Amino acid sequence: MDNKRINLDLETNASATTYTVPIGPVHPALKEPIRFTFELDGERIVGVDIKPGFAHRGIEYMGMRRNLIQTLYLSERICGICSISHPLALTQAVENAAGIEVPPRAQYIRTIIGELERVHSHLLWAGVGAHELGFDTLLHLTWNVREKVMDLLEQLTGNRVDYAIPIYGGVRRDIPEEKLHLAYEALDYYKGLLQNMLDAYLHDKSVEMRTKGVGALSYEQAVSLAAVGPTARASGVKKDVRQDWPYFAFADMQIEAITPEAFGRTPTGDVYDMIIVRLLEVRQSIEIIERCLEVLPSGELMSIPKVPALLAALKNAEGEGIGRHEAPRGEVFHYIRLEAGIEEPITWKVRAPTYGNLMSWVPKFLGDEVADVPIIAASIDPCMCCMDRAHFVERSGDRTTRLKSELVRLSREKTRRICG
Amino acid sequence: MTSGEIHALLTERLGDAVSLVDSVEYAHGTAKRAVSALTVELPRERLHDAVAALCDATSPHVTVISGDDRDASLILNYHFNVGWGEHGREVVLTLRVTLPKDDLSIPTLTDLIPGALTTEREGHEFYGIEFVGIPDDRNLFLPEGTTIHPWRRDEAATKLVEPTVKRLVKWETRDGQ
Repeated sequence: MDNKRINLDLETNASATTYTVPIGPVHPALKEPIRFTFELDGERIVGVDIKPGFAHRGIEYMGMRRNLIQTLYLSERICGICSISHPLALTQAVENAAGIEVPPRAQYIRTIIGELERVHSHLLWAGVGAHELGFDTLLHLTWNVREKVMDLLEQLTGNRVDYAIPIYGGVRRDIPEEKLHLAYEALDYYKGLLQNMLDAYLHDKSVEMRTKGVGALSYEQAVSLAAVGPTARASGVKKDVRQDWPYFAFADMQIEAITPEAFGRTPTGDVYDMIIVRLLEVRQSIEIIERCLEVLPSGELMSIPKVPALLAALKNAEGEGIGRHEAPRGEVFHYIRLEAGIEEPITWKVRAPTYGNLMSWVPKFLGDEVADVPIIAASIDPCMCCMDRAHFVERSGDRTTRLKSELVRLSREKTRRICG
Repeated sequence: MTSGEIHALLTERLGDAVSLVDSVEYAHGTAKRAVSALTVELPRERLHDAVAALCDATSPHVTVISGDDRDASLILNYHFNVGWGEHGREVVLTLRVTLPKDDLSIPTLTDLIPGALTTEREGHEFYGIEFVGIPDDRNLFLPEGTTIHPWRRDEAATKLVEPTVKRLVKWETRDGQ
């Protein structure tokens, strides 16, 4: 397969006329640090090298020096946007290792909060995408619409982010009967808006021209480069933990992985396809939440409600476990090993979705233009941390600095140019 | 593929080299529907063959390599998703390999699954594992020139931070106070 021969070596692709353009670690497209070193032939990208790690905080190392309840709240701080994804995977891993059951009601509440998070995360991404294209009206519209789900999360959990809902063996807060109307009201609000969102993003001429064929990723490339989440699904890879390995309330449903085919389009993995997948997943999440609320089982919230008893059970636990969750950006995977008599985990490994999607950036960038860098970089919805400037380095060694505003200007000029 | 089918496939291709560690099912939802996870152990020289056998039969998705430092040896767990795309039929497969500390080398899987490069580069920098044949062994997350391996327990630098079990800050005098 061609995808197995993707060249990550800049020098091989370089010709005499190319020059090297490092962008980052502070960055034009992302509010988190990562360095891309582009090899350019004119405006065309012919090679790219990616250097993450600027926000590496050693969280697994820290977790292995704390007890499991401390580690749970630490895991919530791995990601600020999808802040329930890591606790959901960690609690699952520990429950599997320690043999702790989760009551059905708690599984449903975990599912509901997880899906609400997907709605807010996808809307956040859609707004960022619109901004990168220079379509700020759409950014403001989308983020205004997003506030409704943020309000609902706050009303249900007490927080807009870092909800502190999962605990080993259940959840810490119920969704009481008297708050259900708030959830239904928010769901109705989104159901009424979704068609408008689809029209605004997918039937807009300038969005189409800036995203169709840009940042493409073939099915074979997505599979061989181990892509996950909407990045893989936009390429037609029907991979979704909720479908393939149904956990929590998904075990009682038939979830279908959404690909651009659901919108009548042959998948190419380009930015347009990624918009399709994410917007349709907002609709899917609303349906899942609605279903969960309809059949929300009654019963306990926690299998071990007293924290000292829970800590004792965890301290005596011995074994290893895995935990998985389909986060907004793709699969979150946790592996943990516990030893009896030791409070901290012996081993804890976290695999976040952007880690899986890192290599997919390479074929996505190749062949596209510098002005497409912001939207392609943002397209996989990466999760790292903040940007203000980029350095351009000519082969001769002369260094120039370009501000974020210049790259954004380039991107917007391209939009205006192609829109005539 | 089911856990049994995966185990049978590996046993057929590798014979006695494969030993079953664990085959578990986790029940979810009100229906208590089960999902599967399988762990098998094999010698490092057969890891590449095992993954090649999986690649012949299906498209295994490499999730991550986790490590577990056990003083004299380092255990590597290669976590895969096998059988994705089928409703409830995916299996989380873990291939377990033990490396002696004095020879932390193992063949790369990037010739079979190019996407394994990220996790192999991480294993190289955080544990000091030599992935034989890896196309790019530069540090990925750590700065170039880093000389310590943060996830090894036998290096002085990794023992600098005391456990803070039940303590929020290090100057707390007693646990839980």
